[in-house]
Amino acid sequence: MASGGEQAHVASQNYSNEEGAAFDMTTSEKVVELLNQAALISTEEKLIILKQVQELIINKDPSLLDNFLDEIIAFQTDKSIEVRKFVIGFIEEACKRDNELLLRLIANLNMLMRDESVNVVKKAILTLTQLYKVALQWLVRVKSVSDMEEACWDMMTQIKEDVLALLDSDNDGVRTHAIKFTESLIITLSPRTPDSDTPKKQEGDISLDKIPKDHTYIRYDTLCEEGKSALEQLLKFMVHPAISSINLTTALGSLATLARQRPMFMSEVVQAYETLHANLPPTLAKSQVSSVRKNLKLHLVSVLKHPSSVDFQGQISTLLLDLGMSQSEITRCTPATVQPRKRLHHEPYVEGKRIKMDAPLAEDDEDKEEPAPVVTPKPSSSVGTQSAIDLTAEFLLPLLTPDNVANLVLISMVYLPEVMPASFQATYTPVESAGTDAQIKHLARLMATQMTGAGLGPGLELCKARDEEVKGEDGGAAESSSKDPLIIRKLSAVSLGQAISVLGAQAAYKSPITEEAPQIKKLPEPILPSTQPKAPGASGRKKVFKLADVVQPFSEAQIEKLSNMAIKRILQSEKVIAQSGMSHVRVKLLARLVTQFEGGKKNDLLQFILEDMRGRSELAFSLLYHEYNEYLSQQPSASLDSYEHCLYTLLSGLQEKPEQRDGLFTKLVLEAPVITDSALEVIQRYCEDESRVYLGMSTLKELILKRPSRQYQYLNVLLNLSSHEKEKVRSTALSFIKRMYEKEHLKDCIEKFALTYMQFLVHPNPPSLLFGAGEDTEVAAPWTEETVRQCLYLYLSLLPLNHRLVHELAAVYTEAIADIKRSVLRVIEQPIRGMGMSSPDLLLLVENCPKGAETLVTRCLHILTDKVPPSPELVERVRDLYHKRVPDVRFLIPVINGLEKNEVIQALPKLIKLNPIVVKEVFNRLLGTQHSEGSSSMSPLTPGELLIALHNIDSSKCDMKSIIKATNLCFGEKNVYTSEVLAVVMQQLMEQTPLPILLMRTVIQSLTMYPRLAGFVMNILARLILKQVWKYPKVWEGFVKCCQRTKPQSYNVLLQLPPAQLASVFERCPEMREPLLQHVHSFTPHQQAHIPASIMTVLEANSRKPEPEPQPELHRPEIIEEREVPVPKHISMPAPVLQAEPPAPTPVEFTEPPPPQKQTPRSEEVEEPMEQEETDHAALEVTSEAVSQQVEVSEEASQSNSISEKTDEPMEESTAMDVAEQPKEESEDVAPEAGESSVD
Amino acid sequence: MPAHPLRVAVVCSSNQNRSMEAHNILSKRGFDVRSFGTGTHVKLPGPAPDKPNIYDFKTTYEQMYNDLVRKDKELYTQNGILHMLDRNKRIKTQPERFQSCKEQFDLVITCEERVYDQVLEDLNSREQETFQPVHVINVDIQDNHEEATLGAFLICELCQCIQHTDDMENEMDELLQEFEEKSHRPFLHTVCFY
Repeated sequence: MASGGEQAHVASQNYSNEEGAAFDMTTSEKVVELLNQAALISTEEKLIILKQVQELIINKDPSLLDNFLDEIIAFQTDKSIEVRKFVIGFIEEACKRDNELLLRLIANLNMLMRDESVNVVKKAILTLTQLYKVALQWLVRVKSVSDMEEACWDMMTQIKEDVLALLDSDNDGVRTHAIKFTESLIITLSPRTPDSDTPKKQEGDISLDKIPKDHTYIRYDTLCEEGKSALEQLLKFMVHPAISSINLTTALGSLATLARQRPMFMSEVVQAYETLHANLPPTLAKSQVSSVRKNLKLHLVSVLKHPSSVDFQGQISTLLLDLGMSQSEITRCTPATVQPRKRLHHEPYVEGKRIKMDAPLAEDDEDKEEPAPVVTPKPSSSVGTQSAIDLTAEFLLPLLTPDNVANLVLISMVYLPEVMPASFQATYTPVESAGTDAQIKHLARLMATQMTGAGLGPGLELCKARDEEVKGEDGGAAESSSKDPLIIRKLSAVSLGQAISVLGAQAAYKSPITEEAPQIKKLPEPILPSTQPKAPGASGRKKVFKLADVVQPFSEAQIEKLSNMAIKRILQSEKVIAQSGMSHVRVKLLARLVTQFEGGKKNDLLQFILEDMRGRSELAFSLLYHEYNEYLSQQPSASLDSYEHCLYTLLSGLQEKPEQRDGLFTKLVLEAPVITDSALEVIQRYCEDESRVYLGMSTLKELILKRPSRQYQYLNVLLNLSSHEKEKVRSTALSFIKRMYEKEHLKDCIEKFALTYMQFLVHPNPPSLLFGAGEDTEVAAPWTEETVRQCLYLYLSLLPLNHRLVHELAAVYTEAIADIKRSVLRVIEQPIRGMGMSSPDLLLLVENCPKGAETLVTRCLHILTDKVPPSPELVERVRDLYHKRVPDVRFLIPVINGLEKNEVIQALPKLIKLNPIVVKEVFNRLLGTQHSEGSSSMSPLTPGELLIALHNIDSSKCDMKSIIKATNLCFGEKNVYTSEVLAVVMQQLMEQTPLPILLMRTVIQSLTMYPRLAGFVMNILARLILKQVWKYPKVWEGFVKCCQRTKPQSYNVLLQLPPAQLASVFERCPEMREPLLQHVHSFTPHQQAHIPASIMTVLEANSRKPEPEPQPELHRPEIIEEREVPVPKHISMPAPVLQAEPPAPTPVEFTEPPPPQKQTPRSEEVEEPMEQEETDHAALEVTSEAVSQQVEVSEEASQSNSISEKTDEPMEESTAMDVAEQPKEESEDVAPEAGESSVD
Repeated sequence: MPAHPLRVAVVCSSNQNRSMEAHNILSKRGFDVRSFGTGTHVKLPGPAPDKPNIYDFKTTYEQMYNDLVRKDKELYTQNGILHMLDRNKRIKTQPERFQSCKEQFDLVITCEERVYDQVLEDLNSREQETFQPVHVINVDIQDNHEEATLGAFLICELCQCIQHTDDMENEMDELLQEFEEKSHRPFLHTVCFY
């Protein structure tokens, strides 16, 4: 309040505008203006203004106080706590200024005491502390008390009781204030004595000793009783076991104040300290214990310093020693001289207060003499009250023998708490003087205090017994003493309407006071505990509400039903919770809840998740993790079943939903803590779904790469898929595996798997492993194309990546059965081509060529050289193989273009003996007609050279038929064998000596193909005559045939023949003689002259002379016939070519005059082939186009023949099938079959 | 009690380091704060532990500063004393003794147990008039710069918590226990009355 004026000044500056005017205004006007302002402004400014007003009307011009009282008091209902507090302060100031105002304001104070704000209540208590004294003083001064004043005092008394009741308030601060009020009240309602240590400022305060005993309304006795009652309440309050640290501290301080200002209470105070020290409330925390002990020490010292403490120095010193104070310090605080005490001063008071002051005397024998007179008024009661503890202590003292104490210690061991209580820990000090008399006394006293507190001990019983007597004695006196107030109050009670309650309280006090006086130290009474809800220890002492008492346990089914419903509600509240932004809590809650239940709820939740997997994925993950967590927490005996079920259901759900977004599946798999076997099965099923195969396998791949602990298990799944029956699944798996194969640590595993599968091929039957679980295939099922392929898919896709594997294939191939071999040969093309002919391992395979793998190697060679010319390395390897180890000419075919010319020529006889298709292929290679690329340039032989080489094949090495077939193949290539090429060939062949047997056949053929060669042919014929062609029977036969065909151009050639040979010609072809003769006849005479006569003779004479020479040679054709008999059927095939050209007479230029015609007997030798040709010719006169068609047809026929003939050889079947499948490659495929015949 | 800001006093023995550090921070946070020492003299570290610089409470921070600069500028710069004095003189002119201050506070915070004892002794020796309570709390802080800073923050946090309670006296006990657990140091706490 001191700052009030200053603030007022500050505030007045705020209104400086008006200040000038204010000086002129009367105080009254100023107050009015300020009050008007105050009604409208904010709390802070309002306070300032109100304080100004207070200053004005209380200090400046108190005469105004009365006028404006109501206006100020009106603020007591202000909203602001601070304003209400101000009102209280104002009331205090106003009442101090003018005590009469109490009459009007006491009711307001009473009202504010019940304010809802504790801060207002506290302020009211503080004010009341002051005003109680003010009121008492005022009333004491007033000689005659009016009704109003009586009512006012009654109200004050009532409020006082209310405040005392606030010792039981719920609020710590309110209790604190109530304690302080109680302290002040006790001091007021007790007499000041000379040894009172009164603060200077309170010198003038009223106290009991100033109350006249003859006052009309204020009763000395009543007040005295009320004071004692207040002390009782305070002491009782202090021993409450759950008292708060601050309340305890406050109470300790109050007691110290009481002891110093009213030394008559010294005994109670010291005893209360003792009790407290021995029984620190268990609810205090450690630091609070230190605070309290510190306070206790402080107050003990301040009490000790008081001269009146003399009688209690022993007890106080003991306490201080226990609190850790040194003896020297204690001595320093002890008053130096023992003053002679003047107890007599207490006497008047003792009358009313029978108790206390004699307590120390009973203990201290020395003092007994002195108190004796004091005690006299009521000796029995005073001794009785003092000695409850003392008596027990005395009773205990002789019992405390070492044996008994030891037993007590042992017995109490059992009851020690597990943890040392904070209070004990703080208060414990080693017992220094153990075993001394003093210490034993102290111990006895401590125990006595405890026993009395617990209501035990002989002292207590003795006291009770005495009290009974006292009560009886006292009864009358008490009644009489209370009579007066009762009567007096009757008047006011009616007007106040509260008299009854006041009376009740008054009456209630009566008996406890007399009865409980001796039992101050008694531990909590039933009233107290319930009044301290704030204190944590209090609740334990109440009758506690127990849920179990009022509820019945649910049945299992009910629990199940309710929990199901609860979870369902949480499930269904999805949207609502999502809107509130707390969905993560819901997710967590659900996951936790459901994890803890079995069965149904889990399935419900899973089903719920699956309904909208995308939207509820968070829930799914949360659930999954919780399940896993559950599993982990149950280690090591945990089971993964529940987790597995959860994961499996989720994955299956995703897998079965066709339209589900696929990312979720991957995410679920990759983020699941563990992939169980069943989950892996789902993943596999997922991979087998053609529409998701890529995603499934990507997921699988991630698993393999990112979960190393079980990567082989995952890899195995992927590997198994590599032989899957669905093409898409398989190829995707293969491409993934190929990528994995690049990883070093997975390589071995993949390779091993591939090889294991390939090894299956050596078994007689495919292992059941190859068949899907669903298929009911018998274990003994034969190998099929499909199963063979299944075993090879993975291997073959790895082969281009790791060429070394090819050797394994060779090893397996040699052991495999024919069917498998065929399949193998069919499937290896792609990988082998991928390897390329430069692959060292492939070259090595060719070089080594394991026995039994020849067909494989050949196949490889074919694949390699199919599109590109062979590399020198490859040629070298093949050549070595051919020459040194396996002299199978078929090996050479693929590399034939890489061979030397002479090598080819050497090999030709063997080559043309092979299957016609193979031969065709060989020729294709040699002639470069096979490939679109211009690899013909690579051929070691030109077409001409090839044809010549064919003509020059030694007939001992090869049968004529094969050669003829070979040449026919050449002629079939019209694009290669042009007329020019053929001319050169004929020219060269004609120049050879001896003439090749097939020379004339070729000539005729050439002529058939190219009729315009006729001139050239005539030339050839003419020159053949010069070479005495008739000496070569076959050639001669052909010569004649040729002449026959080329007539009439050939006439000139015929005329050049010697006569004998011409005759031979006619012998063979008698029909030619006449035309020739006519031809000669058509000559000019000059020309005719050139015809030798011998010729003419032959021409004209129809001589039948047998030729001398031909006779012996007639047998030759027979020989030829015999040789060729075995092959007539075969010959039928090439034959058509010969007759292809109809012998249509074509105009032929005669470049040379026909040679003289000669008849040679040898002509017959050629007869047989010629005749053959003729028959064929006669049979098939078709156009050249038709012929070529025919050739194809017959070739096919021959193929089918050969297929049917050779069923055992795997190569053949493969050939046949390949022909069917891949017509382009037919020639290659034929190769092995052709080889067979030669090997055989 | 939002209407009137908590009236706080921070007390150490010389009103130099710990109390001033807290004073500094608390005033920055808007508290109505004053700082005090309880010693009979103001002591500052000297060239040796047994040779402190001793001043009485009338000496201003400025004077101490100049005195120390004169004595050994480097030493007192290095040990942070000059810096501290410089800071102090910006806050107020001179150290104050708690025992000489008659102003009333809501909360007195002491920085060591000895100071706490002295404060209690002083408050209890005063004559009670208004019975207005004042809470005294001891927070043990070692007397060095680092601890002073840490301690000041702790005090500040404590004050802010107390300021924000609806009913300070009712909640103080629990609040302090929480703080004890949090800061792992015991607080002595009592209440005195003016």
